[in-house]
Amino acid sequence: MASTLRLYLTCIRNTLEAALCLQNFPCQEVERHNKPEVELKTSPELLLNPILICRNESEKCLIETSINSLRISLKVKQADELENILTKKFLRFLSMRAEAFQVLRRKPIQGYDISFLITNYHCEEMQKQKLIDFIVQFMEDIDKEISELKMSVNTRGRLVATEFLKQFI
Amino acid sequence: MAGTEEFVEADNAEVIIARIEHKSRKIESLLKQFKPVEALKTALEVSPPKTRDERCKSANWIVVHRAIMAIKDVDGMFSLLDPEYYDILMKYLYRGLYAADRHTCDQCLRIHEKLTEKAGLGCTLRALADTVNIF
Repeated sequence: MASTLRLYLTCIRNTLEAALCLQNFPCQEVERHNKPEVELKTSPELLLNPILICRNESEKCLIETSINSLRISLKVKQADELENILTKKFLRFLSMRAEAFQVLRRKPIQGYDISFLITNYHCEEMQKQKLIDFIVQFMEDIDKEISELKMSVNTRGRLVATEFLKQFI
Repeated sequence: MAGTEEFVEADNAEVIIARIEHKSRKIESLLKQFKPVEALKTALEVSPPKTRDERCKSANWIVVHRAIMAIKDVDGMFSLLDPEYYDILMKYLYRGLYAADRHTCDQCLRIHEKLTEKAGLGCTLRALADTVNIF
């Protein structure tokens, strides 16, 4: 299990290293505008093939690249209803604070839980390797976070139920 | 004009599918002789030349998938596989990762790690950048 996670993250890291070659490219349609081409998708010559890396049926990662921007969308493993709700709430919490993260997108792409948008400006201000390390670390930590949240919900539920039912003894 | 192009495509498609079936029989016989690397080489060479027909692409993918899943020793495979096959193999690995099947993804991830070590990031970038030959 741990080895597939390692292979999955290595594959994503290698693909990102190859795909994160971004340069400044002003908008071709509107002068004096500079837009992330991966979001608009108006000119096919500026886009590379989108890559979907699946670890299994429930976990996948979509990497879409263009000349000046890259979009990474993640679908996190959700084993049951509780994890579903926790993941949605937790990732929504993060997405709403997207400005603090800089590379996070406010809304995930349809069919995914969270999306990152990296532009050439981010690559100029920040180191490419560190950006990739951040994304991979995020993917590792998200699973741990969700498990911890689930455990704390179950523990609290058990404590509350025990206390409440004591009065009926 | 568009009509004649479609007609040529359909004819070509039948020829290509016949070729793929012949390739598939050859690969099955190689696998029975426990030669998975030769089977993979046969599967990767003569891939459909710029065809847009989905049937040809999926037929070829099924054949290549069979060869990829038969590989047990990944390091051994790379010592026997020529570098000219690396680019095509990388494209098919990404095609395999697209399928959400656990076993296919496991195998493709395993081979992808070793292939990146061998061929470098250029191979990955060529797979990303090739919008003409999409498998």
